[in-house]
Amino acid sequence: MAIVLAVFTVLIFYDLQRFIRNKEQARVYAIYIFFMATSLAVSLLLASGRRPSSPSQWIEGALKMIGVLK
Amino acid sequence: MEKTRISSIQLFLLLSGFLFGSTVILAPTRGAGNDAWLALLLGGAGGILLMWVYATIALLNPAKTLVDILKEKLGKVVGSIFSVLYIWYFIHLASLLFRNFGEFICTTTFPETPMAVVIGLLAIVLLYTVNSGIEVLGRLSELLVPIIPLIVSIINLSLIATHDFTAFLPILENGISPVLNAAFNFIAFPFGETVAFLMLFPHLNKKERLKKVVLLSAAVTVLLGIIIFFRDISVLGSDLIAHTTFISHLTSLLIPGFNVEPLVDINLLIGGGVKISVCIYAAARALSQLAGISDYRKLTGAISTFCVVLSIWIYENVLEMFSWAERVWPYYSLPFQILIPLLLLLLSLKRKNKPSKSRRES
Repeated sequence: MAIVLAVFTVLIFYDLQRFIRNKEQARVYAIYIFFMATSLAVSLLLASGRRPSSPSQWIEGALKMIGVLK
Repeated sequence: MEKTRISSIQLFLLLSGFLFGSTVILAPTRGAGNDAWLALLLGGAGGILLMWVYATIALLNPAKTLVDILKEKLGKVVGSIFSVLYIWYFIHLASLLFRNFGEFICTTTFPETPMAVVIGLLAIVLLYTVNSGIEVLGRLSELLVPIIPLIVSIINLSLIATHDFTAFLPILENGISPVLNAAFNFIAFPFGETVAFLMLFPHLNKKERLKKVVLLSAAVTVLLGIIIFFRDISVLGSDLIAHTTFISHLTSLLIPGFNVEPLVDINLLIGGGVKISVCIYAAARALSQLAGISDYRKLTGAISTFCVVLSIWIYENVLEMFSWAERVWPYYSLPFQILIPLLLLLLSLKRKNKPSKSRRES
């Protein structure tokens, strides 16, 4: 858990200082925060041993629901 | 649009590296057993046809990327929704490839190393490549992709004494159905995945060579696939192949006298590296175009981080990875690889054949 937090802190700190220096548009921040927040949340859940159901399972479930897969 | 250009030889090698990618470890036609060579031929023919569709779309819409084409043909709203779906598809594909690479390396070469570390280190290298631009990726493929057939030749020649040339017989022992299934899998993986190149084709300097390049790279991949299949089946036999996780790796272990196991790792590293780089590039470019961001490099870091996390999250174990790739992937990919591109082709042809307004008025 601590390693995950440390890695993300370094990554976000490195990218954000670059964004602030270059005065990036708000949409860059929005997309960046979306991806990093999702990654951080999933990483913390995985690190704590509480693996959420994955997109592969959602896709398989959806294909089964519409009858493509048995 | 970026003013970078790649030559036809660079595109040929990029495509060949992409097609070879993780095919070397996942063997999409393994379901056909000793008839996999037939599945390779049938699937290869279908794959060539599919890649011809992509090339035609690119030629009918010169200097336009997939996002531009989707927005132009389907309208701004529907086009943007489809673009978001394609961005997800490219990110998902990159994650699956990261996981293939991680599973292979952690099973065969570094069993004590955590998979997140292996995948993370590869991601750093590939992020640097993608940020260097498409020209660098093209030049890198010029340098590295020719090593793939060289390594295949080295392993083949080393095993020439242990071949059983009748191992692929009898033909169609289990009927045509497993062959057709495997051929369908081979079309979806890897040929259909080249839809990501619709984000790269506008960078080709000589557009008139596009179809030739695409067809040649597909033919080379099929040929290489058949050579590898005959090597594996004649060395291992169909029973052992059916029970093996990483076929090429096991084959390389059988060479008497010297260890060529790392050569298979190198092949995967080159092919997989090219494929993941192209997918991350396509996703970042598409997202930057959609969001109106001038430089795709601003998004590559976040996308790569997400891909690494998704690759760990996506499967629980290696068996789930193989099962999902064989059962679900071809059907899930169908709209992205076949249905939407066919729709775009029809709309592009309709537009081309429609007489222009000025001509009608005269």
